[in-house]
Amino acid sequence: MPELSYREAVRDTLAAAMRADDDVFVMGEDIAEMGGSMGVTQGLFDEFGPERVRNTPISEMAIVGAGIGAAMQGMRPVVEIMYEDFLTLSMEQLVNQAAKHRYMSGGQLKVPLTIRTQGGAGWSPGAQHAQQLEAWFVHVPGLKVAFPSTPADARGILWSAIYDDNPVIVFEHRLLYPIKEQVPEKIEPIPLGKARIVQEGTDVTVIAIGPLVHRSVAAAKEAAEDGISVEIVDPRTLQPLDVETLVASVKKTNRAVVAHEAVTRGGFGAEVAAVLQAEAFDWLDAPIERVGAKFAPLAFAPAMEQFVIPQPADVLAAIRKTVGRGD
Amino acid sequence: MATEVKLPRLGQGMEAGTIVKWLKAEGDRVERGDPLYELDTEKVTQEVEAEASGVLLKIAVQSGEVPVGQTVAVIGEAGEAVPDPGGARHRDERVTPASKEAKSSGSEVAVAGARHHDRSGASRQQANGGRIKASPLARRIARERGIDLGGLSGTGPDGRIVAEDVERAQAAPAAPAALPAGDVESIPLTTVRRTIARRLTAAWEVPVFELVVSADMTRANALVARARELDPDVRVTVTDVLAKLAALALVRHPEVNVQFADDAILRFPRANIGIAAAAPQGLVVPVVHGADELSLTELATRRAEVIGRARENRLRQEDIDGGTFTISNLGMYGVEQFVAVLNPPQAAILAVGATQDRAVVVDGDVVVRPMLTLTLTVDHRAVDGAPAADFLRTLKSFLEEPGLAL
Amino acid sequence: MLQNVHSFRVAKVEKRRALSDERLRGFLREMLLIRRFEEKVEERFRAGELPGFLHVAIGQEAVAVGVCNAMEDGDVFASTHRAHAHTLARGTHPNALMAELYGKLEGCSHGYGGSMHLYDVERGNLGANAVVGGGLPAIVGAGLAFKLRDEPRVAVAFFGDGATNTGTFHESLNLAELWKTRCVFVCENNEWAESTPGWQHSPVFDDMSKRAVAFDMRSIKVDGQDVEEVYDRAREALEHARSGEGPVFLDVETSRMHGHYIGDPQVYRSKEDRDEAAERDPIVLLRERLGVGDEDWDALETEVHEIVEASVEFAKSGTDPQPEDALKNIYA
Repeated sequence: MPELSYREAVRDTLAAAMRADDDVFVMGEDIAEMGGSMGVTQGLFDEFGPERVRNTPISEMAIVGAGIGAAMQGMRPVVEIMYEDFLTLSMEQLVNQAAKHRYMSGGQLKVPLTIRTQGGAGWSPGAQHAQQLEAWFVHVPGLKVAFPSTPADARGILWSAIYDDNPVIVFEHRLLYPIKEQVPEKIEPIPLGKARIVQEGTDVTVIAIGPLVHRSVAAAKEAAEDGISVEIVDPRTLQPLDVETLVASVKKTNRAVVAHEAVTRGGFGAEVAAVLQAEAFDWLDAPIERVGAKFAPLAFAPAMEQFVIPQPADVLAAIRKTVGRGD
Repeated sequence: MATEVKLPRLGQGMEAGTIVKWLKAEGDRVERGDPLYELDTEKVTQEVEAEASGVLLKIAVQSGEVPVGQTVAVIGEAGEAVPDPGGARHRDERVTPASKEAKSSGSEVAVAGARHHDRSGASRQQANGGRIKASPLARRIARERGIDLGGLSGTGPDGRIVAEDVERAQAAPAAPAALPAGDVESIPLTTVRRTIARRLTAAWEVPVFELVVSADMTRANALVARARELDPDVRVTVTDVLAKLAALALVRHPEVNVQFADDAILRFPRANIGIAAAAPQGLVVPVVHGADELSLTELATRRAEVIGRARENRLRQEDIDGGTFTISNLGMYGVEQFVAVLNPPQAAILAVGATQDRAVVVDGDVVVRPMLTLTLTVDHRAVDGAPAADFLRTLKSFLEEPGLAL
Repeated sequence: MLQNVHSFRVAKVEKRRALSDERLRGFLREMLLIRRFEEKVEERFRAGELPGFLHVAIGQEAVAVGVCNAMEDGDVFASTHRAHAHTLARGTHPNALMAELYGKLEGCSHGYGGSMHLYDVERGNLGANAVVGGGLPAIVGAGLAFKLRDEPRVAVAFFGDGATNTGTFHESLNLAELWKTRCVFVCENNEWAESTPGWQHSPVFDDMSKRAVAFDMRSIKVDGQDVEEVYDRAREALEHARSGEGPVFLDVETSRMHGHYIGDPQVYRSKEDRDEAAERDPIVLLRERLGVGDEDWDALETEVHEIVEASVEFAKSGTDPQPEDALKNIYA
């Protein structure tokens, strides 16, 4: 089994899809010769040329919209939005157009478009390059939203996104790009809407996405020393959501923590908490705890930034609180 | 400016009280400090004093259970408009049925130095307006197994009953069949009765062991007689001697003067001796604080005061708070010996039987002596057998030779 | 009068009348059908039978009929909130359109779209768009797909003068020209952005071609009230785009004879302006040009009337969707 970084896993998947299928092409800002601002598409331009690895002007609306148009003609474009903060510029196209063409046409159209984007704090880019906005898109019927947290998941999920007949927004996290792991030789598609149990436990379920999966693993290690057995579940896809797996886990442990790097208020965790209380109310032995960024934009100064974003200690505190050992 | 009289919180964990009767009528002049109404709380029935002077303009709640903080009356100047206490009405309607259901509290212990238990439970419970705080899972298990959550104390955050608490509790017997028509009298539970039931049920969950010892009461009886002779006004009793000597023994064996508190053993420097008493409203345990430092007559005086108030149903909150050890004496009823149920969160209770002349062997001769049988019930979570036995041996020696206690 | 080219790129324009009178009579019939259809829509809306928010293109029929007839099978287009004319002109049956306006399953969007979201993918209608300028980027993408696959197809975007002030317009034209996507951008300049006159919303309202200049895009000016002219210039633009030489901006001047939406009292518009628009009625102009006599005209009216009445009958007897059908078609 090869060892790939998260970055290499994404690149590997894009290349594999483009080799397999002429309808797949990628476009975005600085993705060609430069290889993308995060280096994800390095080498693709050399292999596939300028027609299929398309450098675009800085025009997020038009890039996304062109992706929609090409997708409606049966192609499978993969659009890179350099920072998810810039999704705001393409919001109209995503929300009003991509998400709704199939619906408004009464099922006549399909929009097999993949949007790849990345974001996340922890390296002091400031308030306009570090947000986590995934929750906004979960709110829009017609869009699918995924947020893989590991190289293997990034491969399997991106592949499924490309071959899904709906618009799928795949969130990547800047700090996850260098992490490495053994991945299957051949890309194994991961169905959208299938959660992964990261580790099994009996006392509390932590439902975490993106970087918080890793921070939760760290927190769970510390909790274990305290005799608390933590189960960690990574939904991987936020829409559709694998409610069944999440609920089953919580029915087993009777306690839940939801964790993401996005601000807690109105975050994806709020949705998960609502689903859990509806589906597993009679199994809950403690209020569901939420872990997320404090309600503030992301500051530049590292001390402030680190204060705002959730750390393993925050996950640990939430775990302890649910098992009645909070301070 | 009219003053709303709100139901006060008179003790830790108190969520509601039952107004028994009003001591003033609408239109009466009241002075600050005047007894205004009688209130039955979980522990005691007491008179509540007016906090303002003026005319009692309106009694909003004549009688019945009221959550803490609800307006029960209005005091103001004659002729003054009465503010609408309706703000509380909605809450009242919402709250009352739930509070009738039962009460929960893991935090009603109020021992000096033991506030640790409380966290913010009391105020939260108050905000709950009497609703039992239990997790959905705990509720489901309780529902499925027919367990009354009201009988449980919660170990979760803020005293919440969690699944583990219910798992620990024994399933209640199946609901009784409908009452047979005719002679059976159904006596509604008073707040005090309900509290007794709940606390003793909780006590039943504690793993205990019992130690039995008999003491020769010759010298102790002489001490009682001598004390009465010296100070006829204060009627010193065997119970007083027991309380005093137990207090001194506890100070010598602080490992028994403790409470189990989940994550710690609380050990108390002084001995506050609770004395179980039969009061009209039921069992109460008034406390003689600092019994180890009181003289026998002082102790007897205090004991007489609090027992007196208990019998008159006039106990004050401080009369029942803070006990570290309880003595239950049924000797006056001729009971030879018995086992007492723990008075949580205290770790030990002493059951005292009747002093009887029995034949005992002393130095090889069979002689008749006044013997008293004592049974100590101990919370094994907090106290092991050996220290408890050691304490009991000390107590026995003190009773047999009070001078040793000096 | 006709300025077919902008200042620095001369388009090759053949001044010819290639269309037969028979073909033009066909156009007249289509335009009249659209007119009577939309008048019926206004009538039924006022009668309270039609839900929603509707906009008619009365006065602009020549643009729809001219451009749509110039398109080939396989060409696609995106329309605007004022979409009835484009949809009918591209061949969607009046029954399917009327049924859509009545919210029936038989409608061209099966009741999911409504007047502002008319689709007919079989006929290349990729959707009327209720967000001004919202449809342009997808047309660039469709044109890009045709280019990548080297298909002789063209994607056409209809939009009004108001849309030329949106970000999507500028980003789309820039990208289309940059990548030479197979697109034609049809600017239906009726000089009203809803209630705002052109002079209040654009510094180049009287010469929209200048917008295309900024992107170095080929631009053709067209009199939108002359259907033959529209057809010819659209044909030319489509062929240019189809050949892969690049997109074309069709600067069509037209007149909106009615309000922005059905029921619009047009308090912002002078009577003179409305009269002026009526004087440029493309149907009247074409009838005069073809010299259609009263007898022929009445026959045409009768035919069209029957089609429109039949469409209302069809729509009214259509199938109402089940409420829970609302949860279908969200994902493929």
